[in-house]
Amino acid sequence: MNCKELAYMFADYFDGTMDPELREELDAHIAMCEPCMNFAKTYHALSDKTRRLRQDIQYEIPPEVRNRLETFVRAAALKYPEKVKEYRDQVERERRGKVADLLKAAIAGRLSSVTALLVETHCVACPECREYFSGLLKASNPVSVAPPKVIDSHVTLLLESLPPDEEFFLA
Amino acid sequence: MSAERWKEDEALLESLRKGAPGAVDELLRLYQGKIFNLAMSILKNESDAEEAAQDVFMTVIRKADTFQGNSAFYSWMYRICVNTCLMRLRGKRRNDTVSIEEFMPVFTDEGMHASPMDDWSKEVERDALNEELGRMIRKYTEELSEKYRVVFVLSDVEGLSNEETAKILGLTVPAVKSRLHRARLYLREQLSRYLREGKAG
Repeated sequence: MNCKELAYMFADYFDGTMDPELREELDAHIAMCEPCMNFAKTYHALSDKTRRLRQDIQYEIPPEVRNRLETFVRAAALKYPEKVKEYRDQVERERRGKVADLLKAAIAGRLSSVTALLVETHCVACPECREYFSGLLKASNPVSVAPPKVIDSHVTLLLESLPPDEEFFLA
Repeated sequence: MSAERWKEDEALLESLRKGAPGAVDELLRLYQGKIFNLAMSILKNESDAEEAAQDVFMTVIRKADTFQGNSAFYSWMYRICVNTCLMRLRGKRRNDTVSIEEFMPVFTDEGMHASPMDDWSKEVERDALNEELGRMIRKYTEELSEKYRVVFVLSDVEGLSNEETAKILGLTVPAVKSRLHRARLYLREQLSRYLREGKAG
């Protein structure tokens, strides 16, 4: 082992992950070699001082930066839930609009064939929807009130099961 | 990392997810100093570090919901900080760093030390030198290219384990150790020269 090899292997020696046999070899070299002894001591000293002087080495956040950062993050965080709510509201508005459009198209008999088939199939299995839809057709009035919750959620599922870009009513 | 800090982080994450009042204040209280310091040590510029810190906190608040919890909260946040800063560094001029190769120990053909090896370990034990030493270590750290600087700051200044540093930087542990060692060799060499040539210069 020479000094160069020792210097390049020193990290493992220092953090204690070196294989014990190699470690003994390094110890033996250091004991006989003054430059390497000094190298080892000062390597330790640097690491030790870095840890102890952490406060001096680190950057202190200036008070004005702290203030600005706090103001910025607080304001942005306040706006963030509002943004999420806005987005959700918009999605909800669009959904409701689509449900209403589908019901209107059903009354007018203008459902696309795929949609008509889906509604029919669903109504066979679902008494609530069956009743609701047949009521709609009999009344043949435009839907003025929002459908009951069950119908609303079933129609939403139905809309979601349509192939993408499929128009559910005829032009 | 201490169990106490872990618990504190867990509670903080939970309240951020719920959007609990005071969660953001707690996040700032615990982390704005640390994040600013980390951003400064990568970017070395106060206004850049401030902007980066803003981005980091916004990302943390937005993504708290999706944070998986398979790494510690603070290491997730440090990773966001490192990535944010490195993205900002991209495309910037970086000619203010020193080539680390010029300050590695020098050896003869036989592999013996060719440069003087003074023992200044006793000298720096005096607390009177602390302020100056801290300043010099910071200055020499700033001269390192960010490849070495970030590793040195996380492992040796922040005191994280090599495993934690590796996780944050997406490096292997041997890669972290090798960079850390070179950074220390460089700093040791620079400090030696500084102490040898007198502190006046």
